[in-house]
Amino acid sequence: MQNFHNIFSKLFLLPVIITALFYAGCKDNLPVIEDLQKRNFNLVNQDSANVNFPGITKGKVTVVGFIFTNCPDICPLTVNNMQRVEKKLREENIDNVEFVAISFDPERDTPQVLKDFAEIRNINFSNWNFLTGTQTEIDSVKNAFRIMAVVEDTSYADDGMPYYFFVHTDRIALVDKEGKLRKNFAGSKINIEEIVSDIKSLR
Amino acid sequence: MLYVISLLLLFSLSQNQIEIKDAWARPAAKNSNSALYFEVVNKGNTADTLYQVTSDVSKIVEIHETFSRGDKMGMRKTDFVVIKANSTFQFKPRAHHVMLIGLKDKMLPTQKKEFTLHFKKAGKIKVSADVK
Repeated sequence: MQNFHNIFSKLFLLPVIITALFYAGCKDNLPVIEDLQKRNFNLVNQDSANVNFPGITKGKVTVVGFIFTNCPDICPLTVNNMQRVEKKLREENIDNVEFVAISFDPERDTPQVLKDFAEIRNINFSNWNFLTGTQTEIDSVKNAFRIMAVVEDTSYADDGMPYYFFVHTDRIALVDKEGKLRKNFAGSKINIEEIVSDIKSLR
Repeated sequence: MLYVISLLLLFSLSQNQIEIKDAWARPAAKNSNSALYFEVVNKGNTADTLYQVTSDVSKIVEIHETFSRGDKMGMRKTDFVVIKANSTFQFKPRAHHVMLIGLKDKMLPTQKKEFTLHFKKAGKIKVSADVK
């Protein structure tokens, strides 16, 4: 009976010990949600340049937002929140952080449309990329980040032009310097202090 | 004559009971979409209903509401919004808003755009919104 107790307590403690050792080896407390290093998605940025993501931001902590530019409410809030993070980092003299907005509506979000969306918001392209790509590649990105986007409502203009809208995951994600997804946030209502603190822990 | 004066007075009273405050719209590129936000203050003792918004800024102007479904967000058209008596209703981000779909021109910060709000009782109320 005593032996049974010893074996049981060791089995019970084993996962606890493994977890403790894992976190002891990290300077942050953020688990790896997905290792994106091997995925390296082939995408296109706002200048129509082919880029590999997360390859283009390797070596830098990256704030990733998911958007579609026809979205008038949630996605502009997401990009605005990313700009607020950028401003807060600048105030704290923290550099080497990249910002990437990925469209899950590649059919309408061409590089030019993304560029227009960004320029009207005075985006600084030195550390920002707006990415689109083929539907297949965007679907792979969505799977990796567990993003869901489904067309629901459609409005029609007098000329018959349809304007469709997505129900979609509200997401800003944090990717570390090695290209590992480390934390997810609700993009439209993010806590700026929290994400800045997490960025500091990943630098 | 007395009848006409009474009607005018009634119209004036019902208009005054609705006040629109802090109207603003998001900057957006030509052909894309934006949203209009504002606060409706109903100072009267009866409810009123906003059932339409019109403007020349976009091909379509619709009243929408934003909803959440788990960690997902979406929006849908709503035909009207009832503003209860002696209450304030906010059209704000992540909630009810007016969708400006298919902008005829870009909307830039510092510009002002004109809209007309249509209420069942208060009638038409013109609003000038800051783009910001």
